[in-house]
Amino acid sequence: MATIKLIDIASARSGDKNNVCNIGVMAKSREDFETLKKYLTSDIVKAHFRGLIKGKVERFEWDALESLNFVCHEALDGGASRSLRMDTLGKNFSSHLLRLELEIQQ
Amino acid sequence: MSKTIRIAGAQGFYGDSPLGAMQIAMQGEADYLMHDALAELTLSILQKDKIKDPTMGYARDIEVHARTLYPIAFSKGIKIVTNSGGLNPESAAQKVKAILEKSGIKGIKIATITGDDCVTRLEEFKEKGLLLENLDSNEPYPAKYPVTHANVYTGAQAVKDALDQGANLILAGRVADPCLALGIMAHEYGWKIEDASTQEDWDRLAFGITIGHILECGGQASGGNAYSEWPMNYSVSDLGYPIAHVNEDCTAILTKAQHTGGKVSRNTIREQLVYEIHDPTNYITPDVVVDLSNIKLEDVEENRVSLSGIKGKPRPEKLKLVMGQHEGFVTEQFFFFSYPYTYDKVQMFIKAVKETWAKLPVQILESRFNIIGVNGLHEDAVDIPPAEELNQRSELGLRIALKHKDDRTGKTAIAGITCLGLNGPPGVISVPGWGNMNRAMLSLWPTLIPRELIKQEINFVEL
Repeated sequence: MATIKLIDIASARSGDKNNVCNIGVMAKSREDFETLKKYLTSDIVKAHFRGLIKGKVERFEWDALESLNFVCHEALDGGASRSLRMDTLGKNFSSHLLRLELEIQQ
Repeated sequence: MSKTIRIAGAQGFYGDSPLGAMQIAMQGEADYLMHDALAELTLSILQKDKIKDPTMGYARDIEVHARTLYPIAFSKGIKIVTNSGGLNPESAAQKVKAILEKSGIKGIKIATITGDDCVTRLEEFKEKGLLLENLDSNEPYPAKYPVTHANVYTGAQAVKDALDQGANLILAGRVADPCLALGIMAHEYGWKIEDASTQEDWDRLAFGITIGHILECGGQASGGNAYSEWPMNYSVSDLGYPIAHVNEDCTAILTKAQHTGGKVSRNTIREQLVYEIHDPTNYITPDVVVDLSNIKLEDVEENRVSLSGIKGKPRPEKLKLVMGQHEGFVTEQFFFFSYPYTYDKVQMFIKAVKETWAKLPVQILESRFNIIGVNGLHEDAVDIPPAEELNQRSELGLRIALKHKDDRTGKTAIAGITCLGLNGPPGVISVPGWGNMNRAMLSLWPTLIPRELIKQEINFVEL
């Protein structure tokens, strides 16, 4: 087992659609993409945000762009203009996800 | 050889800088400027303007653009397509006309596109038996709160038609952002939109939408907001806005203006592509369902990326209607605390605020206390360092936010705790002008309605 930092193998961008936040995670290489596909699951993403994501997290694989897209439901405290958060649009969901560390088999 | 059209993503939001667009226009690097001004919540902001003054309700950057950008663009033969008309495209057109007339500009045809605004039609929809079920939860529309706006995301047909009829400037209402670009291409290449019926038709529409999606957020496609290019070794103060050189065979080169900062790379385009997309095989728009799963994106040379491989599927049966509901208000205020006892003072302050509110005749629906520099952005998703460590910080900020039903509560709640500046822990700093008093708390209600109910309307104003 080894620990790798997500920020070393990927970048990310997040955005809002009402109360849904999507986080696109882009691998730095094909090989990194295989690692992401294997280890970066919806459950891990949801757990990393603790209580911030209330609904389900869907994962879409986007092979042509070596990217995963996580669609996080009920994630934005009711949506931008109902939210009491500072980051009403979830722009920093990407930043927080990049802090994740993954346990991988070598 | 097919005709190449150059479309620039000239604006990413209401309030974006006009300088990127002006440079593109001055250098003559685009045939069309596409301006997207309408984010999900922008229409609520515009509705407030319109209630105060019935001649308002459009994105006011067009007044600046009419003075600065449009004259340059028109002199170069560049056409402009925008949804900045918001809730009042006709009024926007009159305003722009008046400004352009003062500059002595003639021979310009301004088109308005309306028909998306349904705020006065909800009763009619109810009579027709529509339940307006929530797109996410399927609940029927409860009509519990006052409606601030109700607009349908409409498609590219009217953009194409207005350009076919010679428009130099289109001021549309809620035309879906990427449909602005699709309408331009459909006009130039004679593509079918409403009457699309073959795989070739759908692939073309899907290509147009993809280009629109890449351009709709302006500088976010050309090196802005880019973790993938960190440490962003290029200038961002003069960031070049993205430009797509599109071809009739559904291929494109993505680039940016010459002599500008920023960067266009496979990475910057990839970042914009994943933005606000859910299932990449089913990106739903009014005109076509886009399958982006086989997209081919390649770095060709510096600041030039090629794009192809977009597939389309028939458009959805229904159109998306989004209503804004006014549920109440949000008030927020910021305070700062210095070393020594930094964190303990914050905690003492929070306790005093809660005790004060409990005694005041105010009904606070929900409140939040964020410690700036600790859990402001990520709230419960991050660990709070131990108190001993936070007490050593030279400063900490506190943000207080609350939800309330009426517009008096916010003022009473904040006025009630202002005395803590003298009565509370030592050295509390509040910053006048920071925060928000009585910001409207809106919830969005997305639903689907039959497309037959919506008819886009085009009108012209000429000078």
